Amino acid sequence: MQQQEIHNFLEQYFQANECSIAENNTGYLTVQLTVELDKELMNRPFYWHYLEKTGGIPNPMKLTFITSKQDTPDSIKGETIYFGSPRLHQIFQSTKNLASFIRLYENHDHKNKQTALFPWLCMNVKISYKCDRKKDIFKSIGLQMINGKMVDDFHDHLLQIPLTPKIPDYSFTLSPLIKPKSGMARIENYLSSTIEVDDHSWADEANKRWEKDLALLNHFYEDEEKKNDSYEVERKALQEQYEPKVIISFINGGMFYLTEDAI
Amino acid sequence: MTIQMEFDTSWQEDFLHRIENDGPWGNWELFKLAVDVEKHLVVPEFEGLQAPKYLPNLTPLPHQLETAKQVIENMNGKAILADEVGLGKTIEAGLILKEYMIRGLVKKVLILVPASLVNQWAMELNSKFFIPAITQRKSYVWDQYDVVVSSIDTAKRNPHRDIIYKQDYDLIIIDEAHKLKNNKTKNYEFVQNLKKKFCLLLTATPIQNRIEEIFNLVSLLKPGHLGSEAVFFEKYKRESRSLSDDEHLKELVNKVMIRNRRGDTGIEWTKRHVETIPIKFSIQERDLYDSITDLRNESDWVQASTFSVMTLQREACSSREAVYYTLKNMLQKKENPSIAYKEQIQSLITKVEAIKQNSKAEKALELIQAINDKVIIFTEYRATQLYLQWFLKQHNITSVPFRGGFKRGKKDWMRELFQKRAQVLIATEAGGEGINLQFCNHIINFDLPWNPMRLEQRIGRIHRLGQEKDVMIYNFAIKGTVEEHILKLLYEKIHLFEKVIGELDDILTKLDFGNIDDYLVDIFAGSASEGEMRIKMENLTSMIEFANQIREGDSHAAAGNS
Repeated sequence: MQQQEIHNFLEQYFQANECSIAENNTGYLTVQLTVELDKELMNRPFYWHYLEKTGGIPNPMKLTFITSKQDTPDSIKGETIYFGSPRLHQIFQSTKNLASFIRLYENHDHKNKQTALFPWLCMNVKISYKCDRKKDIFKSIGLQMINGKMVDDFHDHLLQIPLTPKIPDYSFTLSPLIKPKSGMARIENYLSSTIEVDDHSWADEANKRWEKDLALLNHFYEDEEKKNDSYEVERKALQEQYEPKVIISFINGGMFYLTEDAI
Repeated sequence: MTIQMEFDTSWQEDFLHRIENDGPWGNWELFKLAVDVEKHLVVPEFEGLQAPKYLPNLTPLPHQLETAKQVIENMNGKAILADEVGLGKTIEAGLILKEYMIRGLVKKVLILVPASLVNQWAMELNSKFFIPAITQRKSYVWDQYDVVVSSIDTAKRNPHRDIIYKQDYDLIIIDEAHKLKNNKTKNYEFVQNLKKKFCLLLTATPIQNRIEEIFNLVSLLKPGHLGSEAVFFEKYKRESRSLSDDEHLKELVNKVMIRNRRGDTGIEWTKRHVETIPIKFSIQERDLYDSITDLRNESDWVQASTFSVMTLQREACSSREAVYYTLKNMLQKKENPSIAYKEQIQSLITKVEAIKQNSKAEKALELIQAINDKVIIFTEYRATQLYLQWFLKQHNITSVPFRGGFKRGKKDWMRELFQKRAQVLIATEAGGEGINLQFCNHIINFDLPWNPMRLEQRIGRIHRLGQEKDVMIYNFAIKGTVEEHILKLLYEKIHLFEKVIGELDDILTKLDFGNIDDYLVDIFAGSASEGEMRIKMENLTSMIEFANQIREGDSHAAAGNS
């Protein structure tokens, strides 16, 4: 993520959380936190506790983030934000926490016409192939919960559709035939089967490296009557280093009610 | 094959619960942002380096990038980084660490460095690599923070030791790892018992004297890579010192070690100018030196220790204070000293007291005034260090002392004082490692270490990346003393000073003896006559020259280049 992207990201994050942006210049951004976001980011529970007990006037903080030092006058004091800075990762984490689950309706323009909305279950996940190296795949899957249709890149499809948190007039939702729980299981199975047929030579290679190092380790300790603690420690370290695994982690997901031919 | 899959299911209950209760639901803008963030954090390929694009404040050199890539892709994250002094091993380690962190393979990191470098490491990781490294100050730091920098001496002691062993480290970095060459030490044992999933050992001098050292180092990193101890020493003599004797061994070592040399990096280095400054003793100093030399002929002394005669001779070349300190010690430590012994020492002390000036110190003063810029003086002796400090103060020259024994904070403070306030830094041998002083470009070697590698480390403090000026090295040697011999042999005949950094250890590892210090003691202390000494020196010189020729013969096939 480059500095400009970080700047845009921060701007969007604070706007989405209804913070007013006091200053937005090339190089830095000043925002007035809301009470909610102050609690989310500033880690000062005692202040808020005290305030609520005494009934004082809340005074959430104002923050300045510097995304480019060169473009910021020296008089501006603030936190320098870069990829890898703890603050940015806190905000990343907060973004995920604040929007793990969602429910939206298609904001269709079928005026004055009764419209049925079909339920979709959406899951965004990260699939990691991990041994002593790692690569990730982002997957967005949508499952239509009546006919069981499964769609890849679901998130990209959603970006093309106008969505609203309130059900539009003259619309009604169809009840899912597939229960959410079994919907999740279907998506899980689908992911497993696509992963299974993928090329896993990386895992074979990792297993070979692991076996080789393990053989060396055994050889090193073979003279010792009783294998000591350091042998066990090393053996475990090799396992953690090489053991090939596929890890599927959840990013976010939700229920989307869409018109019949939306996707 | 079937592959092990781990589904994160922790969110499912929560999701079902919300569907049941119709909310609460998140905000669409944030939902989209979260997906965007994840798409950015995804690393789509096993190969290649992601780190450089996240490091706007750093332009790594090509050899540093190549090293990082090698370590991750071909060495599985376990490597000895053995670049010559000053090529930026810290940068390489930082790149590797950053890469693993970006890929989510490493979270918990332990970095063990010399006490004097703790703050510098933490600072560089924070400022150059945006890695929130914390210096160890309280024992709770170990479990509360992910990236901790500490000195090994702190870490190995309880309560720290026990807490550290309970942590689940993903990556361990050890700087100045050549200190772990001896597998009988507490430090070695401590590191051996650490769980090393990924591990980087940093050293500029992977072998100082014998092949055993590389065996110990490699076995720490990757036990069994060089076989078990018994098998290894059956195959290779413990005392031997050259890797290149054996192609197979060299190849094995190269699998876990990367050694970049200055010459290969294509970087323009500033020059080194070396000047030997011969100094004449005053009459009283000469008298003391000669009396010490005469001790060798006294049977009582020869048996006691030829070594202490050597030591006294070398100290006499440094300062009367150094001699006095040793003499006093000798008197105190000797059980039931004979009257003759006491008288002997006493007469030497009288000679020490007769000395009114220090010829070297006066020369140093003259030189410092002429340079009129920052200067580092290295001495082997603490007493000399104290004396010099006092002496310079008498002449209104500001100086700060530096010793290995200083606490971390004090070292940083001294470095800072030297940079901002003082003209001279007076360092003892222990100060030679683990401090970077590239803002200074003059070194005075007030006395010379016998192991040229140590000298290399002294110079390496200032002749490194970031040094913008030519480096000036002044070697002091008293005429007609053991010091002059050493300088002639080690530093002039074989032109060690003119060597590009790193050629030196190549040559030394090719020499046909174990420990260069022992060898020199034998020459200077064990020889019955001047003649014998000269012959032995000639021998040593030709050996070094011979080794140098072989080295040039197989120039870059030498130990450890990849």
